[in-house]
Amino acid sequence: MKALALEFFKLRRKWILVMTTLFLGAEMFWAFMSISKSMARNPDSTGWEAIIVTIASMNGLFLPIISAIVVSRICDMEHKGNTWKLLISTDVKRNHIYMAKYVCATTVLLYYIVLQTIAIAVYGIVVGIASPLPPSLMIQFIGGGIVTNFAIVALQQWVSLSIKNQAFALSLGMVGGFMGMTSDLFPVILRRIFIWSYYSGLSPVSYHFTNHSMEYVIQPMGAGALAIVLFMSIIFYFAGSFHVTRQEV
Amino acid sequence: MKKSISAEWLKLRHSRIGLILIVMPILSLLIGSANYYFNQGALQHGWYSLWVQISLFYGEFFLPLLIAICCAYVCRLEHLNRNWNVVMTAPVSVASLFLAKLAVVSVLIFIVQVFFIILYFVAGQLLGLSSTFPIEAFGWSLRGWIASISIAAMQLGLSIRIRSFAAPIGISLSAVFLGLGMYVTNMGMFFPYSLLTIGIGALSQESLTGVENSLFLIMNLIFISAFSSFAIYRLQKNDVIQT
Repeated sequence: MKALALEFFKLRRKWILVMTTLFLGAEMFWAFMSISKSMARNPDSTGWEAIIVTIASMNGLFLPIISAIVVSRICDMEHKGNTWKLLISTDVKRNHIYMAKYVCATTVLLYYIVLQTIAIAVYGIVVGIASPLPPSLMIQFIGGGIVTNFAIVALQQWVSLSIKNQAFALSLGMVGGFMGMTSDLFPVILRRIFIWSYYSGLSPVSYHFTNHSMEYVIQPMGAGALAIVLFMSIIFYFAGSFHVTRQEV
Repeated sequence: MKKSISAEWLKLRHSRIGLILIVMPILSLLIGSANYYFNQGALQHGWYSLWVQISLFYGEFFLPLLIAICCAYVCRLEHLNRNWNVVMTAPVSVASLFLAKLAVVSVLIFIVQVFFIILYFVAGQLLGLSSTFPIEAFGWSLRGWIASISIAAMQLGLSIRIRSFAAPIGISLSAVFLGLGMYVTNMGMFFPYSLLTIGIGALSQESLTGVENSLFLIMNLIFISAFSSFAIYRLQKNDVIQT
């Protein structure tokens, strides 16, 4: 707990929450512009489903890149400040520091998802969606985002801590964003392997085209997909923790 | 100046930055080509449709972020181990230090652009496009490169100032969206990120008129001079902060 509090303490002048909020603002601005245009063209598709599906697919592009940036900033300060020797000479185990960094990064991204959900609710009310806010869809949307973040943060943290050069971690984030954005084009087997595709894969709403029109489909969170993401999170986390704690400083 | 450029190249030795520089265009090409292949019925304009598919995400997202990564990378060594103190006390002017970094990033991006054009040609051949290769592609690529230098001048200023590797890349991501907004509102000529969209022809392949081409070049010159002058001025006037 103390290690976690110290991680947040180290971030106090990094403006990381401000930066995250600005990114969210950029994503939401783009998403809401796109949704407004879509609603103007096709008034029948006005509903919570349209908003959720658009934002879930945009998260596939944004969240891997933002995760990479957040994790890199949390990990790179130790590389830049040459503080690893200092840290390991204290009475704190390295795997506890690893866990504190992981919890810190996932908390920042949890803030992103929660703020995003609030933005969706406010937007829906402002544009006057007739039906009430569907709590089950919103909970699944938040849950899907959080669980996918678990796996992606675990992978990014492994890369950011084991390779000093952050260019690789950020490039992985970019590749992830690319995969997440185009995941719907991949066959199912590849979608199961690429963790970045789960932002749309675990979304409560999906869509398919029938007779040149888009139809929204409510999809319950699949136990299989959820199990795969959690399994990947555990694998990436423990593999990273094992590797990093045994690395020579 | 020549020695500064040689020193910058020397710093990039064994850096494996080349790996990052080739992966992004290849990924953009693979996805764009797959999309083109599966939607050939709707995409009727041959080489032009293929360019839209492959350059859309490359020019809009990945090239700007790649430039930001390159800029952060060429400043990385200075931010480590208090190396700014060493660099600032070396008998080299601040201007030549900055311009050498800008020259190296520009050459790296030029190589990426050439590689991207080669990939485009190969993809077109493999997809069986029978029409002649559009000569405009060289113009899109060259203009994209010129706009990239403007972005690089801005990003280098940020990367020199900000110690964090990731923060300038985050700023670049935000600037990409601001650039898209400015492009949509027809103010693309006034922001380097939108100039890249215009130059690379990612959203519109219509040829620029002579006046537009001149304006494009003038705006890029202004941005490159302004960002470089500001960054050099800051380096000359402000103390290097090592935390």
